[in-house]
Amino acid sequence: MLVTGIKSKPVYAPLRADPSGRYHLLLGSGPGAAPLLQVLTELRGDAPESLARSRVLFAPDAGTDAGTDPGADAGGGGAAGAFAAAGVAKLRTFADSGALLREFESVLAASVMGLRLYVAGPESFIGLAMKIALQFNLNTDEIRAQECGSKARRVRCVHCRETTEDVRTNIVQCVGCRRWLLVRDHYSRRLAAYMGVMVDAEAPGELPAVQEVFP
Amino acid sequence: MSDGGTVHVEVTAIEQITPQIKHFTLRPVDRSPLPAFSGGSHVVVVMRAATRVHRNPYSLLSAPSDRSAYQIAVRRMEESRGGSEFMHTRLQVGSHLEIAHPVNLFPLDKIARKHVLIAGGIGITPFLAQLEDLHDGAIPYELHYAVRAAEHAAFAQRLRTREAGRVRFYFDSAAEAIDYDGLLSGQPLGTHVYVCGPAGMIDRVIATARRWGWPDSHVHWEKFSAPPTGRAFEVFLARTKIGVKVLPDQSLLEAIEAAGVEVPYLCRGGVCGFCQTRVIEVDGELLHHDHYLSDADKLRGKSIMPCVSRANCKSLVLDL
Repeated sequence: MLVTGIKSKPVYAPLRADPSGRYHLLLGSGPGAAPLLQVLTELRGDAPESLARSRVLFAPDAGTDAGTDPGADAGGGGAAGAFAAAGVAKLRTFADSGALLREFESVLAASVMGLRLYVAGPESFIGLAMKIALQFNLNTDEIRAQECGSKARRVRCVHCRETTEDVRTNIVQCVGCRRWLLVRDHYSRRLAAYMGVMVDAEAPGELPAVQEVFP
Repeated sequence: MSDGGTVHVEVTAIEQITPQIKHFTLRPVDRSPLPAFSGGSHVVVVMRAATRVHRNPYSLLSAPSDRSAYQIAVRRMEESRGGSEFMHTRLQVGSHLEIAHPVNLFPLDKIARKHVLIAGGIGITPFLAQLEDLHDGAIPYELHYAVRAAEHAAFAQRLRTREAGRVRFYFDSAAEAIDYDGLLSGQPLGTHVYVCGPAGMIDRVIATARRWGWPDSHVHWEKFSAPPTGRAFEVFLARTKIGVKVLPDQSLLEAIEAAGVEVPYLCRGGVCGFCQTRVIEVDGELLHHDHYLSDADKLRGKSIMPCVSRANCKSLVLDL
């Protein structure tokens, strides 16, 4: 059962500005603020006029839906101030990444060709953003992403097709069918999830050691 | 593709559709179904003239769903090297030809959210087959078709009837021009633009798209160069150990083929890279005319596309 060395596992690289774009949309969650600020700084140097066509959507909280008040969040307030100081034309912060991604979708629906998308945050946040971008036929030369923060995975059960969120271990129990799943590197961009396959099918109950591998 | 994979066809209809363009219908001699193709494909037509063999690529413009016949349109070039001249003056209904299997170097993007098609003159042909695929689909599209004057607009009637509201004509004679900035500055995300026409038009579309921030993956063009003529030169084929003379109006590929050596090819227009050949030694200058090799590769001089490129040299040795 091949776990690693699978080509579909996404590879990310440090964010760089792409001055060939006309519009710049920056998406961030949690620790993703710093790479996005770096992009804005580069744009100011390479294509200052394009800062007027830049927009940041940011969720200070790295993903949970625990009703954070955006105004009260000190970290977010700090990031918002930094984005404004970096010269971004439009800025919105969100209580959670779910609300951010809903707004992202409506921004894309109203956007025209010439857009470059930058995403920075935990891997599952990037995956969900990419899934939406794919629906708008954004290609790899229009999207850049940098992973920062948790490597926790969304895991799709290949047996019952339920998705288990926030998986940090090599073996996980499916929230749908309760089977024990081995988390593979086999990734679906369309589903924004890694595939999980039953690990004890041949010897029920015999599980390999469960370890935290996606901190 | 070399000539091993050809289909024997009969010309079953010829129509002069503009002062310079003839429309040909080709049916297989044995009446079996033709190979399937997708919109944007071309076939290489093999023309056996008295003194030489011409092989020219022409876009298929018939409906991809129709496998009983292929249709092509050929513009008679003012400075024909012989191919379009042959098609226009030597063929009659009933003539036989060989064609290579279709190849598509200009396909529509399957998951595009919108298609913008831009045609100049005879460049309309690949779009005609693509429109057959688009016509009944859910993906929005628009066609912009520029020609010298109304009488030069091939297939205008068919387009006006079938594509009403989706096609816009631009006639040079009426001083109408495509507003490239207007066209490319506000297209929805996920749009792809396709252009086929004169080199100047293709360059304008590419430059305008870049200026508005379009990424290369959303910009598609088809630019078949006819092989340029030039001075005669000689080439030595190292593996087969024969010398070949390339005449002024002959391409390097044609000269090698005439000597009985087969080189794999697809487009014969300097686009696909299939005929790329290693240069072992050159005493002189390679004249690269292809759109495939990078500028750096062209400078390096280790490869040549014999379908369109030539040499100005004392000697040239190829790995063939």
